[in-house]
Amino acid sequence: MKPVYLAGRGLACALGLSVSDARAALQRGEQHTRCHVLPGASGGNFPYHTIPYQHNDSHERARILLQRVTDEAGAQHARDGVLLIATSSYDIGAETRGAIKSDYGTYTDKIAAWLDWRGPVYLLNTACTSSLNALLAAHALLQADDLSEALVLGIELDNRLTLGGFAALQLLTQGDSKPFGAQRDGLVLGEAVAALRLSTTTPADWQIAGGANVVDGSQPTGASATAVAEMYHRALSASGLTAAQIDLIKVQAAGSPGNDAVEAQGLRDAFTTMPPLVSLKAAIGHTMGASGAAEIALLSVTLEHGGWPLYRDAADPTLGVELAAQPPASVKNFMATILGFGGSHATVVVQRA
Amino acid sequence: MNTFAITGRCIASPPPADWREQLTRMLGAKPRRIGTWAELGLYGALTCMADAGEAGLPPEAQIWLGSRRGTYTATDLALAQLRDDLPMPLTFLQTQPSQFLAMLAARLESRGHACFLADAQPQALLRLAAAQAGAGGLLLGWVDEMNGGSSNWLRLRHAEAAAHEFVAASAEGLLHPHVSHLHLDSTGLRIRHAD
Repeated sequence: MKPVYLAGRGLACALGLSVSDARAALQRGEQHTRCHVLPGASGGNFPYHTIPYQHNDSHERARILLQRVTDEAGAQHARDGVLLIATSSYDIGAETRGAIKSDYGTYTDKIAAWLDWRGPVYLLNTACTSSLNALLAAHALLQADDLSEALVLGIELDNRLTLGGFAALQLLTQGDSKPFGAQRDGLVLGEAVAALRLSTTTPADWQIAGGANVVDGSQPTGASATAVAEMYHRALSASGLTAAQIDLIKVQAAGSPGNDAVEAQGLRDAFTTMPPLVSLKAAIGHTMGASGAAEIALLSVTLEHGGWPLYRDAADPTLGVELAAQPPASVKNFMATILGFGGSHATVVVQRA
Repeated sequence: MNTFAITGRCIASPPPADWREQLTRMLGAKPRRIGTWAELGLYGALTCMADAGEAGLPPEAQIWLGSRRGTYTATDLALAQLRDDLPMPLTFLQTQPSQFLAMLAARLESRGHACFLADAQPQALLRLAAAQAGAGGLLLGWVDEMNGGSSNWLRLRHAEAAAHEFVAASAEGLLHPHVSHLHLDSTGLRIRHAD
């Protein structure tokens, strides 16, 4: 098995326009949300974690953010490799503003041109698990093919359709996100652009050890505890590790009353001794298809340079699990989990190289 | 990289005139409020599985789906609803291709990996799927609503076959009814015709 290194990372999220800015803001305990007003009986004022970069042209804003984030990840070393774009919303933000009318092919071609990409390009959508599944696909391709470089690019930018859809499904809170919290009452969404550069030839501090995606169609809009447990078992098997070797799990824990409880049950079923748990949702929001890549970028840098999310709300004692108030003393293996629409349960094992 | 036997197929470009009736018979009831794209997908996938003689997918089988326009019809509808109000919940869900994957997985009693690739040509979809394929093989589909609709599916199982029996082929060759095996490696796609 060839090692697949996490050779570069880039991030723009509500905490900042680079991985280091976001880490520093996390360490300072910052949270940045703006309010979006939605119409209708289920509408209202909804907080939203917005990337602190404004531009009056949403198309240009997307281009600048993507180029900035991919540059930070070292995309210039990977342009002959494979590019996996992960998103659940494509260009819909520009479409809702009447700026464009595109299709998948146009969108893919546009991003490839922005990045001056020469290798194959894939556009992948499994809703909120998109960038974790792109990471698993990139890992498999690098293991199987002659390719040595891949870039996973998670993109979710501000748009009324996604926010409106989540509001229509009554999944959002008008307050704060409270992961695994006693008073949790819904999600806060956010936008992010995140890039993870994978390489088999450029050694780095972290490598991708494996992972799993379990699709359980019995719960098309929520998680299933059985599927959560099965996902962890399969990911451990795929990465050749035991549960006792996992030092930290980045959970979904988006603050949903039902889904957080289901996730907690699945964790208890999978782990006899629970590893420390961390959630980044209160800090950057749920960034949907970009969340897997965004949260791996942010978590890996905090494990290297310090910082930890602040949980302001009391934990829910009925869940039987709680988030760690401090980072573990040392982390060799961590799992990054996202649970999403379409019954998709995905986790990736990241390991110190 | 990988050799597969094609154990089932549905080539419906366009689907037959009575495809909705056939789908209703396969499901045992008329599908409700899932949208035409998902209905077309279910029709092709279930027809392909019936052709393979399988009622469900085994553990470790994976579902991979490609489309040029995917859920654009539902997305246009949701955007229209959004002008004055929130989108209807079911309309919003129909904009997400993963909802179809969940439906299909439930129907086939599958708990494996499932993935949607937008704008993926057959060879690109196959390349990515083959890299991750487990012991249960693959169910691969390409579904679109435009131009009368299309729902093309292949059920692939890992197979052993001598390399010299294969000939180079274009991506379109994958869907030819006389192709029995395919092989994918760093040189591209090769196919073998049925004896």
